[in-house]
Amino acid sequence: MDTITLAGPLEAKLAAIRAAGFTQVMLNANDLAGHPGGPGAAIDAVRKSGLRVTGFQVLRDFEGLSGHLHAYKVDIAKAMLEMCRALGSRVLLACSSTSAHATGGFDSLAKDLQKLAMLAIPYGIRIAYEALSWGRHVNEYPQSWDIVAEADRSNLGIAIDSFHILAMRTGPERLEEIVPGKIFLVQLADFMWREIRSREERIDTARHFRVFPGEGVHSAELAELVRTLDRLGYRGDYSFEVFNDDYTQLPVAVVAERARRSVKWLTDQVSRRSLPLRGASTLRG
Amino acid sequence: MTLQEQLPEPSNPLGIDGIEFIEYATAQPQALGALLQRMGFLPVARHRSREVTLYRQGAMNLIVNSHAAKEATPTLSALALRVRDAGYAWRHAIDLGAWEMPTRASAMELNIPGIHGVGDSLIYFVDRYREFSIYDVDFVFETDANPKPPALAGLHYFGVVQSIYGERTRDWVDFYRTLFGFSVLPEGQYFGVLPKGTLLESPCHKFYLQLIEPPPGSEDIHWDEALVRIGLGAPDVPAATQALKERGVVFVDRGPVQPSEKGALTQVYLGGVTFELVVSR
Repeated sequence: MDTITLAGPLEAKLAAIRAAGFTQVMLNANDLAGHPGGPGAAIDAVRKSGLRVTGFQVLRDFEGLSGHLHAYKVDIAKAMLEMCRALGSRVLLACSSTSAHATGGFDSLAKDLQKLAMLAIPYGIRIAYEALSWGRHVNEYPQSWDIVAEADRSNLGIAIDSFHILAMRTGPERLEEIVPGKIFLVQLADFMWREIRSREERIDTARHFRVFPGEGVHSAELAELVRTLDRLGYRGDYSFEVFNDDYTQLPVAVVAERARRSVKWLTDQVSRRSLPLRGASTLRG
Repeated sequence: MTLQEQLPEPSNPLGIDGIEFIEYATAQPQALGALLQRMGFLPVARHRSREVTLYRQGAMNLIVNSHAAKEATPTLSALALRVRDAGYAWRHAIDLGAWEMPTRASAMELNIPGIHGVGDSLIYFVDRYREFSIYDVDFVFETDANPKPPALAGLHYFGVVQSIYGERTRDWVDFYRTLFGFSVLPEGQYFGVLPKGTLLESPCHKFYLQLIEPPPGSEDIHWDEALVRIGLGAPDVPAATQALKERGVVFVDRGPVQPSEKGALTQVYLGGVTFELVVSR
């Protein structure tokens, strides 16, 4: 599960995630920065929870900048990498840039991601580059894969988020081109309507109206996505990336229970043999 | 067309020209100093204001840094590379995503630019190594010692061994190849008596880095990412081994690493210091 789905203090989120049977948690930078006891207390809480950290999010708008904007973002990236390391997270999620100041030059984007990957090497962190569906120049996973393939760094891969794929109606065909080991994270979420007409509507839906797999209207596509990833050999982590305003005003146990039911739904959709058992969405035992 | 012509020379954008010095950090410099002297090094200079000593042997400079060192067990804390232009080299590395070294770590007080290496170690760039050396300013040379003691049995720096976590070889190959222009030697090409891991050759062809992942089945061994061992080149390993044995150095004499024409490995000293001899001219 992802802490962004739940309300309340970090400790309560972790306990609810654990109680629902999950073994991993995706953490947000605010979980550390906003903890009343400071980042150290947040890291302690995560350690004590016994949950493995799936990844840490999110570095925004890193690539494509120049001059002082680039230097500023490098500083931000370094600070986030240090938090990521302190947490014991092996993955930092970096979203494609939405900045009006960012260039779309392919070589420039690849070069910046190479630099980010280099910054992450001494800390043993992998960069998962995600195509945000409202990204300025990169908004579908085939584009993010093209850049990652061009950058060609061992600790640089892509993150797949089903929301953005469904929102952009990107077909799963081009997943076939991706080296399975270069997908560093898969985030799953659905939403509850078929039509998204504008960029603004995509952002709004993504930030407030996502639901767990099995709760939305793209169940068939979602199940197909997971089956395809599995067939192609993806054996990495899955996490529920569900931003939902209703869920953040419900008791954490209620929401975690919905997440647990979503795992059950996914398990039923994808044959037990091929379900990724090590996934973040997988129940213990 | 010859093979040589087909394979372009790997580029050397920083003008790397060998190892300027290797640094140990330890809170017990006397104990390490005694071991280094057994290995043929001599203390030739001391830092003006800090507990830092320069040892030399032939072309090798070795720094023992006790300033702010807390651990008694010596650790390899820095590798200094000779480069064409230290400022350019530093800028080049930072532009590509290297981390600036924290100023508090530059205990030598020398104005040497550096970046983060593996673990807590640093990589320095030095361009003053010909007529004028970095030691001339901040160090006081011993008046009664030869500032350039000869090497025992032709010993010279061959390289440094770095331990890394599992499945991290490609990351560290990216690091050394991108920042410095190191190239990976073909699989199976090894020197010495410890043929494992991945060997990287410096773009100047003067030294090597060896990356070692934990061996299979070693889950219970404590394993960190760090610089772990200096490799010393010797033109005649048996002669060098004999000369060092006469000075009281003990070599591992059992199993696959026992001294041979190819190389030799000393026992572990001071809780974590070993030296490897490798045949090299």
